[in-house]
Amino acid sequence: MTSSAPAPASAPVAIPAPVTAAARAMADRALSWLHAHRALGALPPGTTEELTDPDGVYKPLGETTLAASIILRDGMAGPGQLAAAQSLMDFNWLQLRKGDLLYERQLRHTLMTDPLEMYAHFVRCGYRHADMDRLLDHRVRLRSVHSSELLPNRRLAVANAARITGLDHGEDFEALARTTWLGATPEPWAINWITAYAMTHTVFHLTDWGGRPEGLPADLTAYVRTWLPVWIDIWREVRQWDLVAELLIVGACLSEPYCRPEDWEAMAALQHEDGLMPADGDPVDEDPVRRYKEHHHTTVVTAVAGSIALARAARAR
Amino acid sequence: MSSRSAYAAAADELASRVLRALRGTEDAGGAALVTPHLDSAPGASGSPDFPDSLDSPGSLAALAAVRVIGADTFTPHVLTGAPFHASDAAAVARAFEAFPVPGHGPSAPPDERTAAWRDWATAQLLARTRGYAGNPVPATLPETRDDLTDTTDWQRWSVRMAQLAPLATPALEGPVRDAARDAALPLSRGLTRSVLRRDFPTAVRLLRWLALLRHDGIALPLEPEPVLDHIRLLGGAGPRTALDLAVAAHLLNGRTEDVRNEPSEAPA
Repeated sequence: MTSSAPAPASAPVAIPAPVTAAARAMADRALSWLHAHRALGALPPGTTEELTDPDGVYKPLGETTLAASIILRDGMAGPGQLAAAQSLMDFNWLQLRKGDLLYERQLRHTLMTDPLEMYAHFVRCGYRHADMDRLLDHRVRLRSVHSSELLPNRRLAVANAARITGLDHGEDFEALARTTWLGATPEPWAINWITAYAMTHTVFHLTDWGGRPEGLPADLTAYVRTWLPVWIDIWREVRQWDLVAELLIVGACLSEPYCRPEDWEAMAALQHEDGLMPADGDPVDEDPVRRYKEHHHTTVVTAVAGSIALARAARAR
Repeated sequence: MSSRSAYAAAADELASRVLRALRGTEDAGGAALVTPHLDSAPGASGSPDFPDSLDSPGSLAALAAVRVIGADTFTPHVLTGAPFHASDAAAVARAFEAFPVPGHGPSAPPDERTAAWRDWATAQLLARTRGYAGNPVPATLPETRDDLTDTTDWQRWSVRMAQLAPLATPALEGPVRDAARDAALPLSRGLTRSVLRRDFPTAVRLLRWLALLRHDGIALPLEPEPVLDHIRLLGGAGPRTALDLAVAAHLLNGRTEDVRNEPSEAPA
């Protein structure tokens, strides 16, 4: 750096060492579990683009792909873990017949957003499907596509997927942010479980999973920093670990991260030896298939949370 | 009736009386409050079993209620200027004589230090009562080697401030109010947490502090008025919560007409 290089506007805030220790353990163990159990997340033989039960296997497959893609993007894992993440990406790409299934689904259902959203996770790591790219380029120019009536936080998800895929048509993210629940900076005591999830996703997509913290407007960042400690507290009390893990991601995505060691250490302590993160305070089933079905999402969230916190800690050094 | 519920019922009875006085609906507005409260206690007078009225369980519960409601007994006087009668002051003093002031040194447990602060507040207001000079309680500050300014653990801190809500009155200055002035954010977090946990009695006590900060012109991280309405609609009809709501509404609005909409009767 030369002496004329501009100084950063403000020094990045360090993430406390106990948080990075917990984050590393959480991400490594969660990724190991996802990799070890990947066969349980495979699409049934003969699956077509019609997907009789899209939430059954297809959606979780996308969530695993998201976690692996964030770990590869952030590059904070050790060589073995990075290889496992790459292996998961390859496995899931093959599940989707190297993108053909996503292409066929998007081809048949122009207004559906899930093929684009799932494709974006792969694009983040360099996977491409030429026909899908042509199709998406056509689709993104349709007024019908832009006028589909989505919940505002879902619209942000689609806009972020389009941005990652290179189809950004000058979407006004700031304006979109204002249409969400969070954008209204509402009464923090009038939040419920499902709205809390909506809020977390607004932050995820505006910041691209912690990759661009400045994407969350400053006043919304301040609002989240003010009330996140309360929301983590109350959902920890009722042992909604899945939501708590999402709230940890939110804290790690802020331009000035909010990562309280006690919260991270408490979550790390809940993680099973094999890497499973329990979804809530109920007993964890012994049956491997039920274990996977019921706790897969929380384990994905845990891997993402750990990776983002490590990346933010590294950036602050 | 268990003695615990007898004590709670007596506190509700006095809170209802204070609330009616605050609304100006007590007989001949500005009438005595505490004396009729003690006189109305079960077995208070004329009972052959308890020739000395102080000895009946009902009277003890009624006296204990005076200590529990404490500084809030003076609320109509403080907020609306209603006279506080010398006879009532004497009755408050009797309550102090019947129940000793707990220890409040630096090593006292938090509950005792909280009680000491509440007693201090009552004694302060008692000492100001015109025409009364028999204050049995030294109105000196409790030992303040206390953790009132440390809001790191805002959850526990805000619960403690809720217990100190009788000190959330414009009539009292001091270290507790000073601590609150510097803690709009921890108070607001505590309030938000209490509403989300549906702990409305705690929520409204914290709202009193925020209302006092607003009264003092301090910026708040949340709007207190919608919380007030929310708790009024959802928070139940207990007289003590209703009294806290009335105080908060008065501090926020500076008017008493809003105060009159709250439930008034103690549960049977």
